[in-house]
Amino acid sequence: MICVKDLVKTYKGGAVKVLKGISLDICDGEFVVITGASGSGKSTLMNVLSGLEKPDSGSIVYDGDNISEMNEQQLTVFRRKKVGFIFQHYYLLSNLNVIQNVKMGADLTGNKDYNEIIEKVGLTAKCKNRISELSGGEQQRVSIARALAKKPNYLFLDEPTGALDESTGRNVLDYIVRLQRENGFTMILVTHNLNIAEMADTVIKMNSGEICVRYKNTTKKSAYEIGW
Amino acid sequence: MIVGIKDVFKLVGVIIVVFCAIFVCTFFLNFYIDAKSLELVLNDEELLALHRAQMATAKFTCAISGGVLMLIALVMLVFYIKLYIDSHAKQLGILKAMGYTEREIALRFSVFGISVFFGCAAGFGCGFAIMPLIYSQMSNGLPEITIGFHPSVLVLFVILPTLIFSAFACVYAFFALRSPANELLRGKPEKLSKKPLKVSEKERGFLKEMCIKTLSSKKSLAFFVAFACFCFAAMIQMAVSMYKLSTKTMGIIIFAIGAVLAVTSILMAITSLVNGNSKNIAIMKAYGYSTKECALAVLRGYHFFALLGFAVGTVYQYVLLSVMINIVFKDVGAVPEYSFNVSVFFITLAVFIVFYEAVMLLYSFRINKISLKQVMEEN
Repeated sequence: MICVKDLVKTYKGGAVKVLKGISLDICDGEFVVITGASGSGKSTLMNVLSGLEKPDSGSIVYDGDNISEMNEQQLTVFRRKKVGFIFQHYYLLSNLNVIQNVKMGADLTGNKDYNEIIEKVGLTAKCKNRISELSGGEQQRVSIARALAKKPNYLFLDEPTGALDESTGRNVLDYIVRLQRENGFTMILVTHNLNIAEMADTVIKMNSGEICVRYKNTTKKSAYEIGW
Repeated sequence: MIVGIKDVFKLVGVIIVVFCAIFVCTFFLNFYIDAKSLELVLNDEELLALHRAQMATAKFTCAISGGVLMLIALVMLVFYIKLYIDSHAKQLGILKAMGYTEREIALRFSVFGISVFFGCAAGFGCGFAIMPLIYSQMSNGLPEITIGFHPSVLVLFVILPTLIFSAFACVYAFFALRSPANELLRGKPEKLSKKPLKVSEKERGFLKEMCIKTLSSKKSLAFFVAFACFCFAAMIQMAVSMYKLSTKTMGIIIFAIGAVLAVTSILMAITSLVNGNSKNIAIMKAYGYSTKECALAVLRGYHFFALLGFAVGTVYQYVLLSVMINIVFKDVGAVPEYSFNVSVFFITLAVFIVFYEAVMLLYSFRINKISLKQVMEEN
């Protein structure tokens, strides 16, 4: 369970207020989509929630641990143990091959069964290929495998389909949602694509650093049913 | 337009190495020219032997130190240009896509010759400034030698290197820019490796893999790390020996040059290593790897080359001094015995370990400051 209270984040010495007192609760195993226009603060919210950045004030409590009070070392340990990331630009280690990239996540938690995850994302045939030899969709699948290989409790996704074409994007989203259901981790996805919100349990819409709308989907659509 | 005058000052490494080379060469070659005529007036056999030994030392040091250091400067220049082209590939690709030819763009790289000019001019000036002291010590026992200004030395050590390095920068850039515009814009496709993974490779942990890959993708940096440690070992130990064998001034000069070259090379190598891997480090940190783990993954592979450089430097200084004492100065009386100084070796090794670890610690702080946000903003 993640409990966020009165979260404030500013830049440029307080001149730019990006998050203006955000409060929200996220249940274990929930799929949350945070959406909003560019500059609404959704990516900053994700960075702060995942422990990549520290908030100016407010609290973020993960199962009793307030990460807003942690120092850099404690945050590193927190991310190591609990968090996985999938980014729009993949951020794979280009000088390594698929297995080596997946091992980056797996080694953190001593997971030796990373080959299973590579198989799950359909990259067994290309596991020895270098990153530059893969298509965008395949690279994103490596990024998914890397994130899942560390068996995270919380998976953060920043525009995971932003750099993909429609067909690949749908396939990738389908993979992620299926894997989330199988593994039961909490998933927080940031996107400007409102259609993706139809797949989530909970949707949070942000505007100018504040949550303007928050609702739960009664019926959820699959990646192949949503508009693009 | 790309490559401006401000880029000249980024080649600090080249400026310092060229400075050291020209500084040493200037006073040795000037001494050689000024003292050469003494041979005709010296009647005493012992003085003649001392004079010949000093002439040989001047010629030998000028050729070896100057030659080697200029070669290192050339390698550094190539390294800088390659780094510049890699980090500005997109801008260069746009210029090529717009219709600028390789020749037009490459010509702009001649600006890097100005760095060499700065190093040469400063080295020449300082070499001249220290000449009275060097002359008085080197002519010890010989008739007084007057310092003369030789325009040919100025041309050889300031004008010529500037022109050669400028031309070399253009030629190298011309060939380096021959990739198609599209390749510069999108990045060069990596060579396919068809070699199957070995069993041991499968079992290696991620950090070890990362360490090996970083080393294999930045091989040239291993040379600079080894060179830095070579300079440290050779020049510091040699400086202590020169303090006893020759003069305090020579000892201090060699010590200073050794320290400057070692610090410059190692900082340059590790800076480019950390900068070149900042994206990987940021991702690793985001995933929960500690600063120490990131530093080890990126820097650990170079430790062997550091030790290798130190070992080669130690052997080099011993052989060089043995040759100088036993061959060049063999006919000169009152030259002290030279043998390998074990205590100096261990002290230098201890200082080297402290120095090397301090550099690693410094870069750990730098790695600690790399954030994923910064990398994301660059995209």
